[in-house]
Amino acid sequence: MNSQTGMSRAQVAVLYLVLTMAIASGIAIYSSASTVTALLKTATAGLFLPILLSLIVSYLLDPVVYFFEGEKINRTLSIFIVYFLFFSLGFLLLLIIGPPNWKGMMQALKADFPRYISHAIEYLSGLLMAAQEHFPFITNYNLAERLSSASQSFFGLILKETPRSAMRIGSLLLLVPLFSFFFLRDSRRIMRSLISLTPNRYFEMVLDVYAHVSWQLSHFIRGRILEALIIGIVVWMGLSLTDIRYAPILAIIAGATNLVPYIGPLIGMLPGLVIALVDLGMGGQFWWILCVYVLIAQVLLDNFILIPILISKVSNLHPLGVILAIVMGGKLYGIVGMIIGVPIFSILNIFIIEIRQNRRSFNPYNRYFTNRGKLL
Amino acid sequence: MNPFWSNIFHSSGYEETLAYFLSTMPMFKNLDKRELAFLENIVHVRNYEADESVFGEGEIGSGMYTIRSGQVQIYNRDEQGRETEQAVLEPGDFFGEISLTASRPRCASARTTETTVLVGLFRTDMLEAVRRHPAPSAKIMLGLNRVVSDRLLQCSLQLETLKKQLADDHKQQANE
Repeated sequence: MNSQTGMSRAQVAVLYLVLTMAIASGIAIYSSASTVTALLKTATAGLFLPILLSLIVSYLLDPVVYFFEGEKINRTLSIFIVYFLFFSLGFLLLLIIGPPNWKGMMQALKADFPRYISHAIEYLSGLLMAAQEHFPFITNYNLAERLSSASQSFFGLILKETPRSAMRIGSLLLLVPLFSFFFLRDSRRIMRSLISLTPNRYFEMVLDVYAHVSWQLSHFIRGRILEALIIGIVVWMGLSLTDIRYAPILAIIAGATNLVPYIGPLIGMLPGLVIALVDLGMGGQFWWILCVYVLIAQVLLDNFILIPILISKVSNLHPLGVILAIVMGGKLYGIVGMIIGVPIFSILNIFIIEIRQNRRSFNPYNRYFTNRGKLL
Repeated sequence: MNPFWSNIFHSSGYEETLAYFLSTMPMFKNLDKRELAFLENIVHVRNYEADESVFGEGEIGSGMYTIRSGQVQIYNRDEQGRETEQAVLEPGDFFGEISLTASRPRCASARTTETTVLVGLFRTDMLEAVRRHPAPSAKIMLGLNRVVSDRLLQCSLQLETLKKQLADDHKQQANE
């Protein structure tokens, strides 16, 4: 038999031993790796959001810091100046406008929320009834019951989480400025030392790709955040013209959901429309609010002004990729994941595009250039 | 002197620093100490083994290298794969400066012949430096420009003499 396979007894024994050892060491590595990743996961559990937020903040503040930096003012001092300016600005705003009446708004919302939900459910079940009339084979889904229970539990969760999230917000207020200070001051040095770890053969490529990726990333993040901010302000102003209540909260929702492309704005305008329908009825004000949400904020401002100016320079994701990113992010991290998913997908996209471009530029030189580097 | 005493009375060690090395380069010789410290922060020090490729002919380059210690061989390779050596560079020499200002393919390959320390100055760092610290960057670029235009001048002079020689040869052939 051995002569058929062409192996002696000793060789078979060695092969057997090697395979066993490989499997054993594979299992050992796998188990130790999973413990290590579990340890890492518990160690970094609460740090994901603060680090992400401080990265975003440092990307946003970088141009401002750069504005103050000069011959006489070094970077650290310039960061301190920017921090001082921002904190005093916030303080001044609080002094002038006064702290927003969060408590009253919260309590009013607590009282009003069930009313809005029940109206929405009524409307929806009416729709369902109509649908059942036309398509009798649709089984009674009992949508109203499910929706109301889901919304009740959701609202209860918000109320329960508020004190806890107050603590989290407090820790964020402490951690984010601290982290972003160091990111602002030392990001160049950190990235330099990381890049210097690459092997000599790939060093130039990694340096170039990093420069491109960081340029794209900074423009992407700044563009997105500015876009959301402007949309929020415009929605606030538009809603303030009507008698609708909770305009600030609705504006915040509209701005935050605007970070999720395609689906975000649709979800963002839902609460506003529901509140408008219930409180103001199907009058002129409702149509004006719809106009604010759809025509002014989305079509005019976002499509024709903001996206061409802010984001067009950055390579955009394919719509399919956007939807995939939203679904996968939502599965992983819930609502936060939906907001973060698209930027993370875009970052990966930018990486892939840059590396591919760089690889291409490494290859076809003999087609486009002479040996001496002149264009053919 | 006894090495023990020479160690005690050794100078501050400035001669050993990267800044001093950079100040000995012809293109950086006009920089003052602050600008040298700035330059020190934008260059990358890379360590190479013997017989390691620095870059290959035709690759898109992204910057220039200066040799701090060791030796670098510059060579071309033709279609048959035969190598022709263009130059052997020693500490203090520099190469690849064409790619510093624009992403052009390298016109020759470079490889180390012994353990080598190279100091690289790259386009992306230079572009950022120009944006953030225009004055020292302008001085660095001027120094580079001076060296490159010196080379260009020498090249064109050589070309002139070669042309003259060629014309003379043609005349001689016509006469014969």
